[in-house]
Amino acid sequence: MQASDETLAFLRDVRVFEAFSDPDLTALTDRLRERDLRRHQILFREGDRGDEMFIVRRGTILISKAVTGKVEQVLVRVEPFDFFGEMSLFDGSPRSATAQAETDVELLVLGRDSLQAMTETAPRAAAAFFYAMVQVFMERLRRSTQQVAEATRWGLEATGLDVEAR
Amino acid sequence: MQRPTPAKFELLVRRDDEEGFELRQVASVTGYLSSRPRRIEPDAYEISELRSRVAIAPGFILKNKTTDRFLLLSEPERFLWDQMDGATSLQEIATAYVLKYGEFDFEIIPSLLRKLQRAQLLTFEPRSRLRAVLARNRGRAVVKAIELVLTGLERIRISTHNVQGFFQALYRFGGFLLFTPIAAIACAVLAVAGAAAALVLFRDVHDMLEGFGGHALRGVLMVKLLFFVSVALHQFVHGLACIHYRRRVREFGFTFLHGFVPTFYIDVTDIFMASRRARVVTAVTGALVHLALGAVAFIVAAQAPTGSFTQAFAAASGIIQWQALVVALYPFCFIEMDGYHILVDVLGVPTLKHDAIGYAKSLLTGAGRIIGEGREEPLWIAYVVLSTISVAAFIAFNAWIIFSATH
Repeated sequence: MQASDETLAFLRDVRVFEAFSDPDLTALTDRLRERDLRRHQILFREGDRGDEMFIVRRGTILISKAVTGKVEQVLVRVEPFDFFGEMSLFDGSPRSATAQAETDVELLVLGRDSLQAMTETAPRAAAAFFYAMVQVFMERLRRSTQQVAEATRWGLEATGLDVEAR
Repeated sequence: MQRPTPAKFELLVRRDDEEGFELRQVASVTGYLSSRPRRIEPDAYEISELRSRVAIAPGFILKNKTTDRFLLLSEPERFLWDQMDGATSLQEIATAYVLKYGEFDFEIIPSLLRKLQRAQLLTFEPRSRLRAVLARNRGRAVVKAIELVLTGLERIRISTHNVQGFFQALYRFGGFLLFTPIAAIACAVLAVAGAAAALVLFRDVHDMLEGFGGHALRGVLMVKLLFFVSVALHQFVHGLACIHYRRRVREFGFTFLHGFVPTFYIDVTDIFMASRRARVVTAVTGALVHLALGAVAFIVAAQAPTGSFTQAFAAASGIIQWQALVVALYPFCFIEMDGYHILVDVLGVPTLKHDAIGYAKSLLTGAGRIIGEGREEPLWIAYVVLSTISVAAFIAFNAWIIFSATH
């Protein structure tokens, strides 16, 4: 992908690339691919194989996990400057949730090969990337914990269970 | 301390086209209203009336025989306790409460639930009795297969909550005409003409239904299809009536009732906030769709050549439409259709069927279970006797039609 000023300016505001120097960012941009999704198009499904992460440039992506039948729980909405799909990028495991475009979407795609190349050619940038990634993981872990608590609260409220009195 | 807002899930419900979906916010309160509290088994508790010379309203003592815990219930709480049979949702229980007492106390149900839970007098039963029986016999392959099919069918539910605008537009662009005196007169004229045509046709039911000869399958499918469409129209008219009285239509959809009865449904529960007249009109007008369609069918049959497929199809449709009218409006048939809801609304006895069947069972088994005393008992007996006779008559009438047509 050609490193346009617009793309570089966009990437500077993406959290995991914030600490990148301009040459590193330019080199990274060359390794990114663009991908467009039309509204409601499914990018990947839970269980699919994958080795790429995606950065949302425009639009909104819904990340959902199957609950029962045709019903899925919406885990998160990924908006511009945020990213998703990084779990499969690192461990190559099947996708843990489904990603689908809520609106028309423009994505930037970072594949495992590109990450590998970046690690070898720009170790400083790679270190900054991994450090930012760990911070994001911790935030997401906190959010998951909060979601578990919310799910428990939902269950208690839905059943009217009076736990305090037991 | 500020109370937290109810917890919510955002759910994505896929459509059949795979990529299409609908997003729904499901608040915990929705789950709460759909839950079906169930009192513990009858032999695990005792209830007795607490008579007092001072208090005007009676009180009741409820005892959990296992834990030896006692609860004091007021008369409204006793009423709510009787509704908690595992089949009735909290929303239905609240509706029954409003119909009985004419007002709603927003705290009474949650506080009673808390008391009952503490005394371990309550369980929650999310499934139907049929599903409970199937679950108990899951070891058998046939039962397991039935369960799987029912589960699959129950998941088929096509519905939308954004129907208010649609029904308002439908009402504006002609639906309002159904609620004018002219429409009532037209309906009455149609009914008389249809009845006259039916009388002429029924002089020789055998010749009339002979038109199905050689096309029985096509005939049955077409009659069923027309009936299916009429059920949707029935629901549409309920919705229009709801709009007529300036209330909200909350949902319209298609599902498999109990997992095997395909049906359309509409949520017009908002009509409970309107007058009794509005409730009655909403209930009756939906059923009148069958009256009108049945009358038209009989008139068409009377005009069609004797023994033709058209005559047989129209006559069979007319019979089914008018039977649907009777089933919908006649309250004494053990089915809680429109007529039943009108009856309990007028009588102010929202649990008539439940109580009547319970009373009849206690008489038949000799358990001597006295649910109440005084003037309610004749009402329960009348309901059970009339319903039994009516169901028997309905079956006999259909048997007679089949017999007449085949001999």
